[in-house]
Amino acid sequence: MADKFSVVGKRQPKLDGPLKTTGRSQFTDDIVLPGMLHGKIVRSTIPRGKILNIDTSKAEKLPGVMAVITHKDAGGIMVGPDQQLLCDEVVYYIGDEVAAVAAVDEDTAYEAAELIKIDYEPLPPLLSIEEATAPDAPILHQYYEDNYADELNLNFGDVDKAFAESDHIRVDEFTTYPTHNCFAELHGTLADYSLPGKLTIWTPSQTAILIQKGMAQSLGLSESNVRVCNLNTGGAFSGRGAVRPHHLIAALLSRKASRPVRIMATSDEEFIVCRSGGRNKLTFKSGVMKDGTLKVIDADHLYDCGAYVETQFIMPTIVGATLLLLYKIEAMRYRGRLVYTNNVPYFFHHGGGLVPSQFALGQHLYLIAQDLGMDPVELQLINGVDKGYTTLNDTHFASCGLKECITKVARKSGWKRKYGKLPPYKGIGIGCGVMSSGGKGLFIHDTSAAFLKIGEDGKLSLFTGLPDMGQGSHTTMAIIAAETLGIAADDITVVSGDTDIAPFDVGAFAQRGTFTTGNAVKIASLDAKKQIAKTASEKLGVKPSTLIFRDRKVYPKGAPDKAISFEDVVFDTLNSMEGRFIMGRGFYNSPTSKPALAYSFGAQIAEVEVDPETGMVKLLKMTVAHDVGRAINPLAVEGQMDGQVFSGMGQTLFEECVMENGQVLNQSRLDYKLPRPYEVPDIEHIIVESNDPYGPFGAKEVGEGPIACNPHAIAMAVSNAIGYTIKELPITPERVLQALKEKRKEKEQKS
Amino acid sequence: MKRILSLNVNGNSYEIAVNPWQTLLDVLRDELRLIGTKSGCGIGTCGVCTVIIDGKAILSCLTLALECEGRSITTIEGISCAESLHPIQKSFIENGAVQCGFCTPGIIMTSKALLDENPKPDDNEIKDALSGTFCRCTGHIKIMEAVRKVSQPVKEEKSDG
Repeated sequence: MADKFSVVGKRQPKLDGPLKTTGRSQFTDDIVLPGMLHGKIVRSTIPRGKILNIDTSKAEKLPGVMAVITHKDAGGIMVGPDQQLLCDEVVYYIGDEVAAVAAVDEDTAYEAAELIKIDYEPLPPLLSIEEATAPDAPILHQYYEDNYADELNLNFGDVDKAFAESDHIRVDEFTTYPTHNCFAELHGTLADYSLPGKLTIWTPSQTAILIQKGMAQSLGLSESNVRVCNLNTGGAFSGRGAVRPHHLIAALLSRKASRPVRIMATSDEEFIVCRSGGRNKLTFKSGVMKDGTLKVIDADHLYDCGAYVETQFIMPTIVGATLLLLYKIEAMRYRGRLVYTNNVPYFFHHGGGLVPSQFALGQHLYLIAQDLGMDPVELQLINGVDKGYTTLNDTHFASCGLKECITKVARKSGWKRKYGKLPPYKGIGIGCGVMSSGGKGLFIHDTSAAFLKIGEDGKLSLFTGLPDMGQGSHTTMAIIAAETLGIAADDITVVSGDTDIAPFDVGAFAQRGTFTTGNAVKIASLDAKKQIAKTASEKLGVKPSTLIFRDRKVYPKGAPDKAISFEDVVFDTLNSMEGRFIMGRGFYNSPTSKPALAYSFGAQIAEVEVDPETGMVKLLKMTVAHDVGRAINPLAVEGQMDGQVFSGMGQTLFEECVMENGQVLNQSRLDYKLPRPYEVPDIEHIIVESNDPYGPFGAKEVGEGPIACNPHAIAMAVSNAIGYTIKELPITPERVLQALKEKRKEKEQKS
Repeated sequence: MKRILSLNVNGNSYEIAVNPWQTLLDVLRDELRLIGTKSGCGIGTCGVCTVIIDGKAILSCLTLALECEGRSITTIEGISCAESLHPIQKSFIENGAVQCGFCTPGIIMTSKALLDENPKPDDNEIKDALSGTFCRCTGHIKIMEAVRKVSQPVKEEKSDG
């Protein structure tokens, strides 16, 4: 029998490959508009202080300067609950936006920015969670009673009873340090607000809709009068999901100068604008039975959110909810608190906050396995969730390939042969993860819509509001439409990146692309298919329901010899008395009141080698299994696995913003260590297909699930290699050497 | 004070007035509108702006335009034509080496400089050549595979020579 699918599951190269490999893909910095000006932001040089005076007179007189703005031009616009656009009285961190200029060229803009003089009265900054939560700490933001920006408490089951019944209880505390997303394309935007009442903005983003809504709300515009163009996005990794000050500043400069204004971050500025993960203090307490059954998890997490909270309140929700999803536990308690400091405001790094938390939980569970004398793979297998399981918060898993992932990575990596039997300084570790596929909760709905039109030649244009930041979602959408209509992915042009054209789509986050927009595209394709089937059924004299669409042909089931070409049917539909032009439309909003309808699962096994002289860790091999439901495009699935292993490895072993007095000290891509080709490990891909009943063709996410698996796999492997568990992230050479020292000290004390 | 510069880019000659402090990257993008060379960090840490000058992969953000008088510059626009893509470009597409695409032109130019000089590099030579590039999406894994695979047809062609 022929394959069930003719397009789905084939290795499909990206449809925009020719554009991207020739450099023709346009990014924000590539757009030049007539009369365009260059903007530059003037930022605070101190972590906390009162603004005594802002003198812009010299800048305004500089030839070529077309606009200078301060808080007086911002009209009290707020960015989030606590941040006033352009500071008026107080600055809260090194980098806080105070003023901005627009000039005819970049050099003039820089010169003008230098001429703006700001006088401060410095105030003592709060630079750590400890300082900010001390009883006598000054309160940073007005209208708040303390420096806690937000708090989430979750409580399921009888936690105290579960601990009382446990055979063994363990508590561990972990500290993780600030990181940075390091997108290839730096932050930037081009705003044209030179016509009354209409703003057009070009920006890399994961979501055009949230940028549109945010800009409209802040500037008092109707949403449809804000046109967002996000043609291409040079990486996003959870960090480009909201309106940021530079978007609004560019718009205000454009309005004042009546010309389009582009602002691009410089390399060092990028470390202030981007705002990735902050410093976290994570405590885990768990109760287990002697046989390894995990009964209860109690987590208390403190997150340094920096000067402003932005959308970080989502992070505790993600981290807390995830603790309920992976293991069959009786009870769970979570307290997540965001703490204001005078550090750079933090946002999301790849993994949406899960890398630090999964690292800590993984190390904690490894210590528990050692306490019990258990094999860590066994511990995962005993406690992992299964298909049909319902969690404490009533989440039901209609598909779940977790155990299959665990057993496959264990077998493929030779876990039994290796664990506990490796030579000194070589180690192996396992990590497991879960990720919502199409996470809901931002609005009452979580809608993606899609349109398509089919030309007389049988070629299709597919309109989607889902941005493709590199994950290949536009190609995935084309595959889903092609499979539904029985044509090839190459027959499809994906039209996107402009809110004036594209249909509504919440965006490419919460792993909703393949699942949610994929379902919308499938529904739109089915709508078109129904119209084509009407013509074909008349021509073939059979019922529409018996028609097969495949390989650009339409034929009655079981009679491929009677096939007529897809192109001919479409042509005849238009060239008829009815004159019907084929257009499909559809939307999807996953029918659940829960955070998500589907979840992906994964397991990874890391093998490392530690150099005891230098403390350097080399990730030798990663065996990766991920339950993607169905691999729509295996080539892209592997690409997602690779990228996340690499990024997770970066966050686990290398990446840290070194902070001093609120200043990022390593503000460049050379000083901020991240992996490069020399650090590439050997990767084994295992795709597990659990065929989710709600996913398009059974598909679930793979865009962020794998990174939720690997920090603890790598961290456990390092612990296994050196015989000591490191409780700080990243596991830099210094921390490895420190751990070896501690280990020697502990040994001496014992003997 | 601007100076007149004769620039040879992709086999075409240009005469342009440039400021002494203007980088080759700025001149390529802003004056010649060859935007295929992307502007990344601007300080030589990411490899995004790589072009080939006299056969060597060079960071155009760290090269002053005036240094390029009389030298032969190849940008991403110069390696393919309307009829067909360069084999490295095809290999990058077929092997899934492209994700967001921002670093792609620079990495392709770096790979081209490597393969022009050493058509059959081993893995360490590929890593060496690409070590100054920066890709946050692919983990460099499929990029290395694409470079490795494009060097294979050269092996087969040898039989007729």
